[in-house]
Amino acid sequence: MTRLEVDIVRRYRTGFAVAAAWSQPVDRFSVTVLFGASGSGKTTLLRCLAGLERPDAGYIRLGGETWYDAATGYHLPPQRRGIGFVFQDYALFPHQTVAQNIAFGLGHLSKAERQRRVEELLALLELEGLADRYPAQLSGGQQQRVALARALAPRPRLLLLDEPLSALDGPTREVLRRKLRRWLATLGIPAVLVTHDWLEASTLGEQVIVLEAGHVLQQGPIEEVFSRPATTQVANIVGMETVVPGEVLHVAGGLAQVAVGSAKLMALAPEAVNSRVYVCIRAEEVTLLAAPPEATSARNRLQGHVVAIESEGALVRVALDVGFPLVALVTPHAREELRLEVGCTVWAVVKATAVHLVPR
Amino acid sequence: MRLRQYLRGLLVVLAGGLWVSACQKPPVSDPRPRELHVAAAADLRYALEVMRVQFEAVHPGVQLKLSYGSSGQFFAQIRNGAPFDLYFSADVDYPQRLIAEGLAVDTSFFLYAVGQLVVWVPNDSPLKLERWEELAGPNVRRLAIANPQHAPYGRAAIAALQALGLYERVRDRFVFGENVAQTAQFVASGAAEAGIIALSLALAPEMQARGRYRLLPHEHYPPIAQGAVILLPAAQRPEAWAFWRFVQTVEGRQVLASFGFLSPDAVGLWTGWPQG
Amino acid sequence: MDWMAAGVTLRLAAWTTGVLLVIGLPLAYWLATTRFPGRGVIEALVTLPLVLPPTVVGFYLLVATGPEGLLGRFLSLMGVDRLAFTFPGIVLGSVVFNLPFAVRPFTAAFESVDRRLVEAAWCLGVPRWRTFWKVVLPLSWPGILTGIVLSFAHSLGEFGVVLMVGGNIPGVTRTLSIAIYDEVQALNYAAADRMALALVGFALAVLSLTYLLQRKVVRR
Repeated sequence: MTRLEVDIVRRYRTGFAVAAAWSQPVDRFSVTVLFGASGSGKTTLLRCLAGLERPDAGYIRLGGETWYDAATGYHLPPQRRGIGFVFQDYALFPHQTVAQNIAFGLGHLSKAERQRRVEELLALLELEGLADRYPAQLSGGQQQRVALARALAPRPRLLLLDEPLSALDGPTREVLRRKLRRWLATLGIPAVLVTHDWLEASTLGEQVIVLEAGHVLQQGPIEEVFSRPATTQVANIVGMETVVPGEVLHVAGGLAQVAVGSAKLMALAPEAVNSRVYVCIRAEEVTLLAAPPEATSARNRLQGHVVAIESEGALVRVALDVGFPLVALVTPHAREELRLEVGCTVWAVVKATAVHLVPR
Repeated sequence: MRLRQYLRGLLVVLAGGLWVSACQKPPVSDPRPRELHVAAAADLRYALEVMRVQFEAVHPGVQLKLSYGSSGQFFAQIRNGAPFDLYFSADVDYPQRLIAEGLAVDTSFFLYAVGQLVVWVPNDSPLKLERWEELAGPNVRRLAIANPQHAPYGRAAIAALQALGLYERVRDRFVFGENVAQTAQFVASGAAEAGIIALSLALAPEMQARGRYRLLPHEHYPPIAQGAVILLPAAQRPEAWAFWRFVQTVEGRQVLASFGFLSPDAVGLWTGWPQG
Repeated sequence: MDWMAAGVTLRLAAWTTGVLLVIGLPLAYWLATTRFPGRGVIEALVTLPLVLPPTVVGFYLLVATGPEGLLGRFLSLMGVDRLAFTFPGIVLGSVVFNLPFAVRPFTAAFESVDRRLVEAAWCLGVPRWRTFWKVVLPLSWPGILTGIVLSFAHSLGEFGVVLMVGGNIPGVTRTLSIAIYDEVQALNYAAADRMALALVGFALAVLSLTYLLQRKVVRR
């Protein structure tokens, strides 16, 4: 099985350094997410992978091929790595049409083959009819798809994406997020993706590496990192405290009923969803009550008991068991008022809009 | 695409133009066999022009290329290898130094003329030129002379002003011409209200039409003895010697005389080697 | 109209522009893309002729190419005995003096090209030379054209350096601007006027044509 093996350190003159190591299979579809806030060094790692920047120590190997080795000083330039790179701002060639952009890396093919491949990608990424337009005439979403098509055209062995959806507006981003995974899976190309959006990470990734200030805080399978952050730091970065598997029972009128553990939740489901999902709830969006709630607009009212209470800076983190593990974040004042302690019964209220479904 | 073609076309035109111009070889350092390059003091501008026409009429295969400037400037250039064939200075010192440095043919040295100084003012000038003190008067804010550092006429002008006792009073009004011809142009154009220039320039039709002059008495400045030499690279060229001879013929001397140059023997000066 | 001088002027401008293209483009590209810490010094050196009087440039060139100078000794090794008062000599002077007029617009043009576009091309497997040709050059063409036109037009009127390095040899180093100077000294204002007008007219024509073309290029 061919794998990508990365173990690099990149140091800057300012003293800032980025270090990370991971491996992923490259003979099938696999996605590694480099996750962190801006300045965490994730883009640097991506650029080192691409050969656009040179690490200062370590190695990068794809299968039997060495791309970088500090020991021998070997550095393979980006042209020879067989990669595809999707830039954050797309970097489309403004003086060339969509078709010419897509065909840019296909110089080694015959004219007929080139045309065929371009048409193939135009169809796959739903860009038909735009072949002769210039990038300036396209919408953000269309530009992103052209950037993707261009990177995919030469059949790269590894796809590198730098915050591919961050420049898009909400609705477009939603749509493209789902399609992106579908396309990547269809083409079977392994990818490394950089993002700071947990939804993007959980939708697209299998393996996630959480970075902060150049250091890897935690890495591993997505659900593990997101639901069992190793440190509160990671939890903060990830921003999602409750990630549990669930099954969609039925969908009606844009609302889905999901079975999670021994509880049932109502969640917003604007589009068709898989039956197997991860249910994600932010701790700040969980309201606690000491007595059963009366009329409330929230669709989810769960009864359970307190498993653990922990002070976290200015807030208090309360771990509950409501049929599945649920985390809530309340003020110390609230804790006092509700007289929360381990073992006592509470009711958790969560709005349907705060229950996020991620296909599994 | 139209745009692409434009750019390609432009590139082709540029490249073509460059190639064409590169193919035209510029006249190489060795001039074509019948070209004579003459470095001449600026006061000879009009006189030499007349002589050129006469000479070329008699020697049809030869072309005279005349360059005018200050004697000192040419001296420096010749020492740096400037490709001239003959050098007509406005003094004798520069040619002698060239001979001493082995850059000129020593047997070619001869005095070809003696120059004269005049004070020149434009036609509409309030100056009457009856008394030299007028030069120090309020009507002359700027007085043009040739740069004494490398123009013999400038040095002579200063000597004359000193002899007249005017130097200290006018020295802060000086406007220096690079050579005596530029000095004349300064006064003619009004950059200066008066100027001390060569008689040969004042006698030129262009200057006669624009102003009037008065000769400065000879006793006030050392004679402007003007010497010429053939430069070493041209030593073997018959046309160089031909022109050298022509200047010393009766016709040549007549042209010089018509521009106010004095004959050296008339002034009692050694004329140099006899005609070869 | 001194046609010989006009010929010298045109040839000088053409050669100057040609040489500046050959040495200026790579230099400008290096300046635009390098992270070398001494880059500022090089830029200052390139800009120097802009602020120096032509006589200074001419003087130093004369010294450098003279028998004692560094350049002069190197050239004599190659069999070239002298550069002063020759056409190649004034081309050298003109190139040095017009360097900033070419390199600065070239550099600005290259800098204006988004670095990511170059990186995108590299990641697509396109080698550096082809990337320059297909991405950088088409996008920086207006700026390069500006540099070409500026240096061409400026060297048309070159006077001080040419006079110092070239002397005033008719047919070899006497350019139109020097010929005008000569005619003025000879009080032939009419002839000077004709030549001056021709020079102005030609320069105007070149500049107008180029700006016209530029507008067509930029309009996309």
